[in-house]
Amino acid sequence: MYDEMRLIELKGISKNFGDTQVLRNVDLYIRKKEFLTLLGPSGCGKTTMLRIIGGFEFPTEGKVLFEGKDITDVPPYRRRVNTVFQKYALFTHMNVFDNIAFGLKLKKMGKQEIARRVGRMLELVNMEGYEKRWADSLSGGQQQRIAIARALVNEPEVLLLDEPLGALDLKLRKNMQLELKAMQQELGITFIYVTHDQEEALTMSDTIAVMSGGRIHQIGDPKKIYDEPKNAFVADFIGESNILPGVMPEDDVVEMAGQKFPCVDEGFDKNEEVDVVVRPEDIMVVGQDVGMLAGTVESVIFKGVHYEMMILAGGYRWKVHSTAMQPVGSEVGLSIVPFNIHIMHREAVSGK
Amino acid sequence: MKRSFFAWPYVVWMIVFTVLPLLFVAYYGFTDATGALSLDNWREFFTSGDLKTLWLSVRLALECTAVCLVVGYPAAAFLAGKDMSRHKTLFVLILLPMWMNFLLRTYAMRTMLQDNGLINAFFEAIGIGRKQMLYTEGAVLLGMVYNYLPFMILPIYTCMKKMDRRVVEAAEDLGANPLQVFCKVSLPLSVPGIVSGITMVFMPAVTTFAISKLLGGGMTFLIGDMIENMFMTLKNWQYGSTISMILLVVIIASVALLRKVDPDNQGGGLW
Repeated sequence: MYDEMRLIELKGISKNFGDTQVLRNVDLYIRKKEFLTLLGPSGCGKTTMLRIIGGFEFPTEGKVLFEGKDITDVPPYRRRVNTVFQKYALFTHMNVFDNIAFGLKLKKMGKQEIARRVGRMLELVNMEGYEKRWADSLSGGQQQRIAIARALVNEPEVLLLDEPLGALDLKLRKNMQLELKAMQQELGITFIYVTHDQEEALTMSDTIAVMSGGRIHQIGDPKKIYDEPKNAFVADFIGESNILPGVMPEDDVVEMAGQKFPCVDEGFDKNEEVDVVVRPEDIMVVGQDVGMLAGTVESVIFKGVHYEMMILAGGYRWKVHSTAMQPVGSEVGLSIVPFNIHIMHREAVSGK
Repeated sequence: MKRSFFAWPYVVWMIVFTVLPLLFVAYYGFTDATGALSLDNWREFFTSGDLKTLWLSVRLALECTAVCLVVGYPAAAFLAGKDMSRHKTLFVLILLPMWMNFLLRTYAMRTMLQDNGLINAFFEAIGIGRKQMLYTEGAVLLGMVYNYLPFMILPIYTCMKKMDRRVVEAAEDLGANPLQVFCKVSLPLSVPGIVSGITMVFMPAVTTFAISKLLGGGMTFLIGDMIENMFMTLKNWQYGSTISMILLVVIIASVALLRKVDPDNQGGGLW
C-alpha cells in the first residue's frame, strides 16, 4: 500500500558524523522514472543522502521507504538500486566484460544470457569491442561508461549517480550529460543524480533539489528553480542571468551585442572570449535616445514586484526585470552600470 | 655527470660482499678437500639422510608461513580498517616485536616455554598440569611464527590500505553479500600483499638456525643448523657450501613460483 507517485521516500532523515550534523530532518520523495538531481555545494550533504538511499550509510534518525516498505536497515546488496560511483570504482583485477557481468554472475544467470546482456550494454555505452580490456587501461571517459554499464546491466529500479561526470573534461562532460539523459528516457529508469554543477542539473533533471547545510532549500523542476529561487542561497546558486558571449578588447571594456560597454573587470587576455553575465534586475530601461543599446520589447510578464520583459537589442534577447512596464512593441533604450556587468572566463560558466 | 655514477658505492659493495662470496661458495661447493673438482658432496647430500633435514626445514617453513598467513591476514584486514592516527597503541603492539632483537625475543620465548616457565605455571594453576613444551618441534614452529608474523602482516596491511573502499561498496551495490565481496573482490585485490608476505616469511623461515637451536635444543635439526655446523664446528667448508647452494636453489625456485601468482610484483617489498 504505497503512493504510486512515491517510489522512494525519505522521512525525517538526519545524519551525524561525530559532532557534525550532515543532514537535518530531510524529507524527500522520488517518483517512478523521474530524473531527480540533488544539487548543492560540496559539504551540503547531497552525497550522504545518496549513500543513505544506496544503503552505505545508516541515517541517525528517520526512515527510507522503497515502494512504501521500510528499507532503512536493508544492506546494499539486497536493495533494488545500483550506483555509479564518483571515481568509478571499477574492479581493477577484472577485464571490462567481467566488470559488467559481476552483478549478473551473482544472480547465477546463464552464460549466454550474461554475454547477450553485457554485449547490449557495451553497445548502449558505445564501447563495443572492449570486452577483454583491463579496467585500469581505459581513459576516464571510458571507465565512466563501463561504470554506468556495470550498474545498468542489472536493470535496477533506481540508478544512483554520485557526480559521475566530475572527473571528465568540459566537452566530454557535456556529451555525457546528453547521453545519460537519453539513456534514462530510453530505459525508463529512475535516476537520482548528485552534482554541484547547476548547469548540469538544469540540463538533465526533471526535478532539482537544491541543498545546503544539510537541508533541502528548494525542490522543483529546473525552470521553476531557475526562475523562482526560494531564498538568497538558491538565487545565488542558480542565478537568473543573461549570459551572452563577449570579447575583452582591453581592461574594463567588454564588447557584447555588437557594442562596447565599460565594466570593472581586469586581468583578461587581450581579445579573450568571455561569457558576460547580467542579472535581469540590473538592466535599466531608459529612453531610446539615452540608452547604451536600442531595442524592442517582445514580451512582458507580470511577476508581482516587477515585470519581466524580453527585449531584443543588439541581436540578443535580454531578460529585463523592472517595476515600470513597457508595452510590447515599444522602442526602448537599455543601460547597464559597469559594476553590474560580470565577466567570466569561458570555462568558468560550467559552474566549477 | 651520469646518474649511474651514484650507484658505484653499491656496485662495489655488491662485488665485495655478494658476488665474490657467492663465487667462493660455488668454488668450495664443487671441490673436495684437496681442491680438486668434485661432485662427491652433491652425491653425498642426495644419498645420505641430509636430504631429510632439507625436507624438514622446508616443511617447517611452509607450516610457519601457513600459520602466519592464517593469523596475519585477519589481523592485517582488521588493522586496515582502522585509522592509524587514532589507534596508535594497536599499531605499536603489532610492530613492537620487530623493534626488539630477535635473539632476545627467542630467549624470552624459551623462558616462557620451559618446564617451570610462565605457561606451565598457568597450566598447573588451571589444573591441566605441566607439559614438556621446550625442545619440541612445536616450540620451534611457535618461535618462527612469533619472529616472522609481522613480516606477513605488514605487506598485506599495506596492500589493503591502498585498496579503494569504494570498490568494496561497488561489489555490495551489485548484489554481493559480505562473503562474496571477500572472495571475489577483497581477496583477489590483496593477492600482491599475500605473495609479498609469503616471500618475506618463507625465505628467512627456511634458512632458520638459531631458533631451532634455542627452542628445539638439537631435537629439531634444520638445514640452517647443518650449514652452521659444517662451517663453525666441523670446518667442512666444501660440504657446507654445497648445502648452501642447494638451499639457494630452493629459495630461487620458490620465488619463481610466487612470481607466477603475482607477475607484476605489485606487492613490492616489505612495505
